[in-house]
Amino acid sequence: MEFAQEHASRLGQSQTGDSQRARRESLREGDVVRVRIFRFDPTHDKQPRYDTFTVPYTRLMRVLDVLNYISEDLEEDLAYRWFCGVKKCGTCAVRVNGREVLACWEAAEPEMTIEPLRHAAVVRDLVIDRTAYEQLVVAMMPWLERAEPYAGFPERISHREMEQAATALDCLSCLACFSACPVLDLGNETNFAGPAPLVQLAQVALDPRDGMDRGQLAMDVAGIFNCVSCYKCEEVCPASIPVVSRVIEPLKARAYQSGKSGSHHASVFTRIIEKRGYTDPTELVMRTQGPRVLRGVRRALRLWVRGKINPLRTFFGRPNPAIAAIRCVFNQTERAS
Amino acid sequence: MKVLSADVVVVGAGGAGSYAALRLKQLGLDPILVTKGLVGKSGCSIFAGNLVLSGRMLGTTEEQSRDTLEYFAKYWNNFLIDQHYLVKAGKWIEESFYPELDEAGLYFRRNDQGDIVASVGRVRNIAANKQGQSGMLLMDRRRKQIEQLDVRKLEETTVTALLTDKEGRVVGIVGLQYPDGEIIAIQAQAVVLATGHSDRLAKRSTGTREQSADGIALAYRVGAELANLEIQWWHTSDFAYPKTWDRMHVYPNPLVGSTETARMYNSDGEIFFEQKTTAPVALAPYATQFKKLAEQVMKGKARFDGGAYTSYSHIAPEVIEDYNYHAKVFDKMGLDVATDDVETAVSWHCRQGGINVDPHTMRTSVPGLYVAGGVGSHSNGGIGVVTFDAYVVAGSVASDVRPGEVPPLLPAEQVEVEHDRLEGLLHPMPANGCTPVHIKNLIRELMWDKMGFVKSEENMQSALQEVREIRDRLIPVMGLKNTTRQYNYGWIDAIDAYNMLDVAELTILSSLNRKESRGPFFRPEYPYTDNTNWHGKNILYRDSAGENRFRIEMFDTPFLKPDFDRRDYFEVDW
Repeated sequence: MEFAQEHASRLGQSQTGDSQRARRESLREGDVVRVRIFRFDPTHDKQPRYDTFTVPYTRLMRVLDVLNYISEDLEEDLAYRWFCGVKKCGTCAVRVNGREVLACWEAAEPEMTIEPLRHAAVVRDLVIDRTAYEQLVVAMMPWLERAEPYAGFPERISHREMEQAATALDCLSCLACFSACPVLDLGNETNFAGPAPLVQLAQVALDPRDGMDRGQLAMDVAGIFNCVSCYKCEEVCPASIPVVSRVIEPLKARAYQSGKSGSHHASVFTRIIEKRGYTDPTELVMRTQGPRVLRGVRRALRLWVRGKINPLRTFFGRPNPAIAAIRCVFNQTERAS
Repeated sequence: MKVLSADVVVVGAGGAGSYAALRLKQLGLDPILVTKGLVGKSGCSIFAGNLVLSGRMLGTTEEQSRDTLEYFAKYWNNFLIDQHYLVKAGKWIEESFYPELDEAGLYFRRNDQGDIVASVGRVRNIAANKQGQSGMLLMDRRRKQIEQLDVRKLEETTVTALLTDKEGRVVGIVGLQYPDGEIIAIQAQAVVLATGHSDRLAKRSTGTREQSADGIALAYRVGAELANLEIQWWHTSDFAYPKTWDRMHVYPNPLVGSTETARMYNSDGEIFFEQKTTAPVALAPYATQFKKLAEQVMKGKARFDGGAYTSYSHIAPEVIEDYNYHAKVFDKMGLDVATDDVETAVSWHCRQGGINVDPHTMRTSVPGLYVAGGVGSHSNGGIGVVTFDAYVVAGSVASDVRPGEVPPLLPAEQVEVEHDRLEGLLHPMPANGCTPVHIKNLIRELMWDKMGFVKSEENMQSALQEVREIRDRLIPVMGLKNTTRQYNYGWIDAIDAYNMLDVAELTILSSLNRKESRGPFFRPEYPYTDNTNWHGKNILYRDSAGENRFRIEMFDTPFLKPDFDRRDYFEVDW
C-alpha cells in the first residue's frame, strides 16, 4: 500500500493548536484510520514485514489510541511500549510517516506508517532496546556534583539562574531526537552521544549549583563537536526543547572553555576567520582531517565542480577587506574573556 | 531459569520502592529493585502534580500546619488512618524529605528573588519546576540516584509469586523478565512490596499500563491480611477524550503561583465546584469534588463520563503557562487555556486501603513480607508520605536481616510450580478460546459499570457473579495469539488477568462488608457515614480453613475526632 507523502510537509507543525484544528477537521468520528505497522521478531523472523490495519476514528484520537485499539480491541499481538499515556513517561515514541512522535501526544492521521525509533536495536515490533542510551546517560554522570557544600533547606537560588537548566528538565528521554539525529547515522565513525544524552547532561551542567567540569565530559564522552547543528532534534522534540540553541550551543561553549585542544574543529574555525575574515571550508576540512583528507579527493572534486568549494581561493585568495576590524573584534573578545 | 540472591527484594520502583532501595543500600544492605516498568518512568508517582508542605515549613503558620493534618486525616483518608503515623510522617517530610531532595538537586520552583514558590490558602503545596511535573522530575532524580549508588535493578520484570518457607515466611520471589521472556527467581531474607495504590482495574483509570493490582494479589496468596480495599478514590476532572488521556488531570487543587483554583461547570454552565470556596482545607479535594459531581449527575446536569466541564479561564493565562505543565495540553487539543473549558470525566484513581500493615514498622501479617507506599492499607498515599514509608521499612528490614548473610534456600517445589504455571500460560489460544486482553477488558468494563460510584447491593452481587463466571468459563480457554518469548505483552496480560480477577473479587467482597458510606464510597442501601461502627479497618483475612473472613479494628482519634457519630452521606463535607 502506498501512503501519501504530503504528511511530511507538515513537519514541525504539530506543536501548534492550529494544526490540531486542521487535523480535527480532516478526520471525524466514523472515518477510518489506515495504518501500516512495522513487525519484527528478531528471535523468529529473518526480516521485518508491515501489517495493515483499519481502525475507526474516535474523537481527538492519538496515535497511541490507534495502537491500543489494535492491541486491545483487535487483540493483535503487537509489541509496543507505553506506561502513562499522557506525556509523562516518554516511552511511547515511534516514527509516524518517517517522523518521530510521542504516540500518546500526537494526533492520528488518516494514513500512517508506524515504525520503531532508529539508532537502537529492535526488541520486537515497535519496542526498542533503551540500554545503550541509558549507558550513555550514566556516562554523563547526571547527578549534581556540588561546588560548595549544601547549606541546608531551602537553598537560595533564583529562577532566573535556573532557567536554562529548567528548559532541559522538560526532557522526557523519549529518544525522538536520538532517532532523528543524522550524525548518529554514522554509527561508530564518530563518538557523538546524540542529542538526548546531551540534554540530560545539560540538566546538571547548566545548573548553577553544579561544580563539575562538564565541558570536558561533553567533549570526551559525548563528542559534542560532531553535532552539525542541523536542528532535526528540535524539530521532533515533543517537549519543544530548543535543543541546539539552549542545550548544545551552551555546552559547546563550555567544552571550548574546558579544553581548546579537544575542540579542534571549533578552534580551527575561529583561527580561519581571524586570519581571513571569512570561513573557508576547504582549509577547515584540510586542517581538521589532516592526511585523511586525501581519501575524499573525488568528493572534493565534485564539490568544486558544483561551486560548493573553491580551493583556488583557499590558496591564493586575499583576506576580507575589513580584516583589520575583524581582528580588532577578536582582540577585544579575547581580552574580555 | 536464572536464580539471583539478594538481602532484600524491593518490588515496585515508584516513589516508595525506589527510595526504599536507596535507603537499604545506604544502610549497608544489598537490595535488588524489581519493577514491571522502568525506574522513574512507570507507576503512579510520575503523576504527582505537586508536593504538600508539612509542619511549619517555608513560613507555614501554626494554623496552616493544623489544617494540613486535618486535610490528611479527614479529606485525604476519611479518618481511616493512624493519626500517630500521620504526625510522624509530617515531621519527617519537613525535616528529611525536602532537604534530601533539595540537596540531590531536585528543583523546587523558585521566584526571581530565590524563594520557593508555594500555593496560598489553608494548606500549601509547591512544585518541582511546574505543577504536573513534580513526580516526573522527582522520579527522574531517583533513577539517577539509583545509578549513582549502583543499586541493582531488574526492569520490565513482573513479579509473579512470593515464595515462602515451611513456617510461611517469605524468602523470595519468582518473576518474568519480559523483554527476553526469561523466568527468574530471587532468594532473599525479606521482600518489600511497593506496587502502588493505583491500578487499571476499570475502563477509565489513572493507573499506568502495567498496574494490575499485582502486589495485593501476591500478598493475599501468601496469606497476608488486606484492609479497606473498598475505599476506591476517583479523579473527577480528567479529560473525557481522547481515550488515552483519561488520566490527564485538570488540577482542582490550589495552583502554584495563583490565588485562584479551577472551576467545574455542569451542562447548564453553572459552577458546581471550586476548591477555594467549596473545600478550602481539602488540598486534593477529590472526595468532595466527586460528591458535588454526583449531585449534578443525580439532577441530570452531568455524567460521570462527561457532560461536565473544567476550566482555568478565569486565571491569568501566563500564570498557568508558567507554572502548569498541563497548559500545553489545551493547546494540543486546539483549545485556548485562557478562554476555553474542557470536557472532563471521572477516572478510577487510587485505593485508600491495601495490604494490612503496621504503619510504624511497615511489617505485614506475614513474616518476611513488608510494605511501603500506597499498596498498604495504612494511608491513601501521596509522594511525601510514601517516601516516609520507604524510610520506615528500610529501618525495619535493616533491623530484621543481616547484611550478606546467605538467604534461606528457595523452596524448590514452589519455584517449579510457578515456573510451570508461567510456561503454561505461554500457550496458543484454543479454537473458540479468548485472549488475556479480552479478559482484562471484560474486568475493566464490569468494574466500571457495576463497581462505580453507586455501589448497590444488586450491582455488586452481579459484579461478583460476573467475576466468577469469567474465572470459570473464560480462564480455562485463555490463550495467546503469539507464543514468542520476546516482549510478549500477551503473556503479561495472562498473568495480569489472574491478579485482576482476584483483586476485583476481593474488592467486591470488601465493599459488600462495609455497611455505610464514606468519602468516595457510596452504598445507596446505607446512605450515611457511621463513625460509631465503621470508623475502622475493614480487614479481610483467611481462617484456618482458607475461607475469607472479615473483622473490624477501630481507629483511635488522639488529635482529630470526626464531629458526628452518624450523618447522612451527602451532608458530610469530606
